[in-house]
Amino acid sequence: MGHGKYIDPICGESYKVAAGETLRLSYVILPGESRSIDVAVDLTGEGAALELTALYLSGADETVRIRTLVHHRVKNCHSRQLIKGIAGGSADVRFDGVIVVAPGADGTEALQENHNIILSDTAKVETLPQLEIYADDVKCSHGATVGRLGEEELFYMRSRGIPEKEAKVLQMLSFISPVVPEGREEEIAAALTKL
Amino acid sequence: MSEDKKIIKEFTSGEYKEGFVTDVQQEFIPKGLNEDIIRLISKRKEEPEWLLEFRLDAFRRWEKMPMPDWAHLDMPAIDFQDIIYYAAPKQDKDRPKEIDPKLQATFDKLGIPLNEREVLAGVVAVDAVFDSVSVTTTFRKTLAEKGIIFCSFSEAVKEHPDLVRKYLASVVPPGDNYFAALNSAVFSDGSFCYIPKGVKCPMELSSYFRINARGTGQFERTLIVADEGSYVSYMEGCTAPIRDEQQLHAAVVEIVVEKDADVKYSTVQNWYPGDAQGRGGILNLVTKRGICKGSGSHLSWTQVETGSAITWKYPSTILKGDYSSSEFYSVAVTNNFQQADTGTKMIHLGRGTKSRIVSKGISAGKSQNSYRGLVRMAKGAVGARNYSQCDSLLIGKDCGAHTFPDIQSFNPTAVVEHEATTSKISEDQLFYCGQRGIGPEDAVGLIVGGYAREVLSRLPMEFAVEARKLLQVSLEGSVG
Repeated sequence: MGHGKYIDPICGESYKVAAGETLRLSYVILPGESRSIDVAVDLTGEGAALELTALYLSGADETVRIRTLVHHRVKNCHSRQLIKGIAGGSADVRFDGVIVVAPGADGTEALQENHNIILSDTAKVETLPQLEIYADDVKCSHGATVGRLGEEELFYMRSRGIPEKEAKVLQMLSFISPVVPEGREEEIAAALTKL
Repeated sequence: MSEDKKIIKEFTSGEYKEGFVTDVQQEFIPKGLNEDIIRLISKRKEEPEWLLEFRLDAFRRWEKMPMPDWAHLDMPAIDFQDIIYYAAPKQDKDRPKEIDPKLQATFDKLGIPLNEREVLAGVVAVDAVFDSVSVTTTFRKTLAEKGIIFCSFSEAVKEHPDLVRKYLASVVPPGDNYFAALNSAVFSDGSFCYIPKGVKCPMELSSYFRINARGTGQFERTLIVADEGSYVSYMEGCTAPIRDEQQLHAAVVEIVVEKDADVKYSTVQNWYPGDAQGRGGILNLVTKRGICKGSGSHLSWTQVETGSAITWKYPSTILKGDYSSSEFYSVAVTNNFQQADTGTKMIHLGRGTKSRIVSKGISAGKSQNSYRGLVRMAKGAVGARNYSQCDSLLIGKDCGAHTFPDIQSFNPTAVVEHEATTSKISEDQLFYCGQRGIGPEDAVGLIVGGYAREVLSRLPMEFAVEARKLLQVSLEGSVG
């Protein structure tokens, strides 16, 4: 079976998750930092699970590369990936995520979402959410969006006396809130104003 | 479970009824590919010097290119020197104007009328291509009254050289990719269509491609030009005989859509898919691309892909004109050992451009089915919008379903959404149908029909009927 042969090898972090274990990974990339995250997760035992979140806030001329490879090798493993971020300045962001479900890995549930907001004319975002599935009893889905801050929300807040800048920060905060790790709320809210 | 297996077997062993061979006398040129062969093809077709130069230039580019290997396909090595690049049925010297009755019978059997009569809901004009030549093009006169040019590519080169020269390779340049370069070097026939300003084409136009001869490849080229404010609906169909050897089909389709024009392009691809052991079948390696050149132009692609051992095909649109729009609707079915890597590219250049992608993959047997797509929002694509939905349905344990989208945004006002799901026909759905007296086989047909309906409903009536039947045959027996 040629599964996975079309994928470049991951040379960053790699994890193996055994039966019944849950791995939680959380990444935060703040303004002022160019970074590359390259992570491979192997779900090798029945009932293994992965919860991965990543957040990036990028401006200036920063480059962000996020690659994930999640391999469902056996039955009944669950994975959930949520990657969200905001690109301003002339930031260059790329997300490349692959989920591979091996033959026989029935009962797999894999979910991958990547949502991006672009703030400036010079920022660029590329996203490649990929699925390679070789088993039939699976529930797999991925979603990706690239968009801007909603104008109606902004109008709503401004018509109630919230200054534009503040309103935008509120919008961004609500957008990223699902991927903000506990205990880092204030630090991240402060970083938002730098975008 | 054994009941399931039986149904799967029945479902997957549907017959390929177009797999017969027509016994006609044919002329071949020698096997192989080099500059002399290209000169020979060009000479046979009595082509002008500029077209020969175009071919030779493409060939020289092709020689320097590597075979692409990025697709999710197990591609067999293709020996390009072991293919006959030109095969034509012999013309009866005494009656050069008449169609060989055997060819007539062949197309009749395939349900393609070569005499001008009404089929089903209305009138369809056909350009019928048999191996390397166009046998006939119907309704040319009726269409010419409206100023519409619809003829074989070879005739267009002779009768409308200015138009051909202006638009040929304007959307797919000869060096675009490996197979487009090969096609540009050796293309034999195909269809040419020009709709003048403000004309709504009164009937469906269609091309039908038939491979017949052994050891040959088919390399046709289609060029459609819709001038300002015009409208045309174009359909394409294809079949080939059952053989143990694999045959190459490398076509190029170019579509130019001017200001406010509207083109609808539909394909029902039913090349021989190979047998249940994966022997034979057509290698379908096709480049299709359209450009929405003027503002407000619209191009819609609809494809039903059920045949071919290997499908490598990405009908794409360049949205250049402001407020132009494009859609891609696809159902791709793979069974047994078939492999498909298909999808689309939407390149947004103009302001307010819109595109929509709906792709439904169905894999059964031991097949591999991939969606591969690109959506690019360029800097100038202010307020552009894309929505993509790619669903996969898996039937059986040994098949694969894959999704490889690429979304690129260089504009803060553009909005792109992509969504994909993968699932199988659930026991619950089958149970529900079973309770109501619908057998498992009919239930699968019902569920697949519903799953693919969004795409099938976009097809012209003549095609929709055939496509539904095809889905049933290709997919027969896929309960998981």
